[in-house]
Amino acid sequence: MKKFLNLLLKEIRELITMQLLISLLFTVFLFYFIGQMAKSEAKKAMRVQKIAVLNLDDSPFSQELVSGLKNANFQPQMVRGKDKEKAIEETKMSEANLLLVIPEGFGRSLETLEMKEIETYSFLRTFSLVGTRSSIIINSVIRALNGYLSSDFLKKKLPDFNPDQVKNPIKSKDFVIVKNRMAEGSPEKIAGFVTSQSVFVPIILMMIIIYSAQMVISAIAMEKQNKTLETLLTVPISRTAIVTAKMLASGLVGLISAVIYMIGFRYYIGGFMGDVSQAAEASGLSGVVQKLGLSFSAGHFVILGISLFFAILCALALATILGVLAEDYRSAQSLIMPLIFLVMIPYFLSFFSDIRTLSLPAKLLVYAIPFSHPFLTTQNLLLENYRGVLYGILYMIAFFVVLIVLAARIFSTDRVLTMKLRFRRKKVLV
Amino acid sequence: MTAILQVEKLRKFYGSFEALKGIDFEVDQGEVFALIGPNGAGKTTALRIVATLLSPSDGKVEFLGFDLKKNPEKFREKISYLPEEAGAYRNLKGIDYLKFMARFYAASDRDEEEFVSRAKEISGLGSRLNEKAGTYSKGMTRKLLLARALMNKPAMAILDEPTSGLDVINALEVREIIKRFAREGISVLLSSHNMLEIEFLSDRVGLIDKGRILDSGPPEGLKEKYKARNLEEVFRSALQ
Repeated sequence: MKKFLNLLLKEIRELITMQLLISLLFTVFLFYFIGQMAKSEAKKAMRVQKIAVLNLDDSPFSQELVSGLKNANFQPQMVRGKDKEKAIEETKMSEANLLLVIPEGFGRSLETLEMKEIETYSFLRTFSLVGTRSSIIINSVIRALNGYLSSDFLKKKLPDFNPDQVKNPIKSKDFVIVKNRMAEGSPEKIAGFVTSQSVFVPIILMMIIIYSAQMVISAIAMEKQNKTLETLLTVPISRTAIVTAKMLASGLVGLISAVIYMIGFRYYIGGFMGDVSQAAEASGLSGVVQKLGLSFSAGHFVILGISLFFAILCALALATILGVLAEDYRSAQSLIMPLIFLVMIPYFLSFFSDIRTLSLPAKLLVYAIPFSHPFLTTQNLLLENYRGVLYGILYMIAFFVVLIVLAARIFSTDRVLTMKLRFRRKKVLV
Repeated sequence: MTAILQVEKLRKFYGSFEALKGIDFEVDQGEVFALIGPNGAGKTTALRIVATLLSPSDGKVEFLGFDLKKNPEKFREKISYLPEEAGAYRNLKGIDYLKFMARFYAASDRDEEEFVSRAKEISGLGSRLNEKAGTYSKGMTRKLLLARALMNKPAMAILDEPTSGLDVINALEVREIIKRFAREGISVLLSSHNMLEIEFLSDRVGLIDKGRILDSGPPEGLKEKYKARNLEEVFRSALQ
């Protein structure tokens, strides 16, 4: 045990280098910086914005439109004169990103229900959120105004009817059923909220698996290149202990690195997504999600952790074998590619499609990849498909046992030194 | 003298290529035995087999009465191996590397201290041991690794091309260290294609070519037998 701990500590010390720490801190800082930038851009977009208005119609309706804009967090700057071209030039020189032209006779046309066009001129000075937000809000103000005017008209013409019922005679009441639970709510909103809550899970999975595997491949390749592996294999410690120490150290450092990366990534995503949870809380959506059992409990996280743990073990065992195939550190970098693909396939499928609806050969291929199972576990847990979760974990354990036996056998034989993936004629060192 | 290592009819195949074609040699207690021969002769393969890195395809290898195939772990407890052009862990300080290696052989903290203290003295690296091994020159790395190989006074040190790639001064220092420890009773099995080095270090040599030992004996005896002035001429005559 003392010898094993000695080896384990050495492996950890070898992996935690200054370069790794700097790279981790830099990435966290970068994610934080970009996240903060995105947040401040979003805040800017929510701030009072200046908008130029050329009102060629001085009716109460046009004034109502302008005051509606004030309520929508705009600061209208009225352009003097009647010339549209001049108004465009003037706005171009100002800070406003949008010019709204209310045509002459606007109010009158509304009274007679004639179609009249409001012109908007957007100055695309940037493609950021702030630059495009103005026209989106203007359209929603116009939509609201249209609703108000049509309701007003209906009220005058059909005083005995509710204008809303006339405009929307059919209404829907949506219910969502998950297993034997039912709640009222929009399926797309619920699905969107659940996705936003679990968006981190596949990213965490992918990062931990790739990071740990890369470490073990590089560590073995580096040892082969420096011939430190030859020395290590002649010291009085079992070969299984050597393999285990390498895998354990890489798994630990991979896990720590992934957690640090995820802290940074959370800042980054947080900046873009804003306070989705708060919004959901306010709209009562989170209550619906709770009622449907679509939120992660502590038990779910434990099961997900177990699934992830076995996926990491599979990745490390596979990486150990790939590391033995590497001639040196450089070739190890290419050998990580097949493993990355094996992780990327279920990663993308979990985002863009439902694995259960794939064709049988594709489904079998995905199930055969051990890394698919933690991705599936997330959905299976929410949908209470515990049998699927159990089978996935059992499959990963079997896969890991086969690989670890293979890795230990390779380390116990000549193959640890002679096995190489070569694309040129075989050379033998004698 | 009693032989602590006996190699009989040792054969090694890499696929269909036969790297060792049934070689025999033995190393006595406190003896320096050298395998000399050109590149590709089978020196490294023979050393790697005795160091338990490779398994023999056929033949017998016995060390202190233990059979290599049955008890490789007994070999590992009593030998130390220095591979050709090996490096140390780049991110470990020289002193930490020595401590790390000492812990595999030390039965107690006192043993560990003794091994590390001896290694410090052998390496002669002084305060540079507190720097990372990645910053060392080739000569310094070699001295560190040699110190590691000898610090626990193994029953046998297996040294593959111990001075390969070193400058004259470093090579001389390394040879002096090997000679000194051999005098203290450590058996040494080494390989080299530097005939001068072999003459200086070895008690006996084995001339190896294309996986066969052509002849073996003390350097002086071989020179006399082949009426040669040095081992290079001995080797040329043995080949003919």
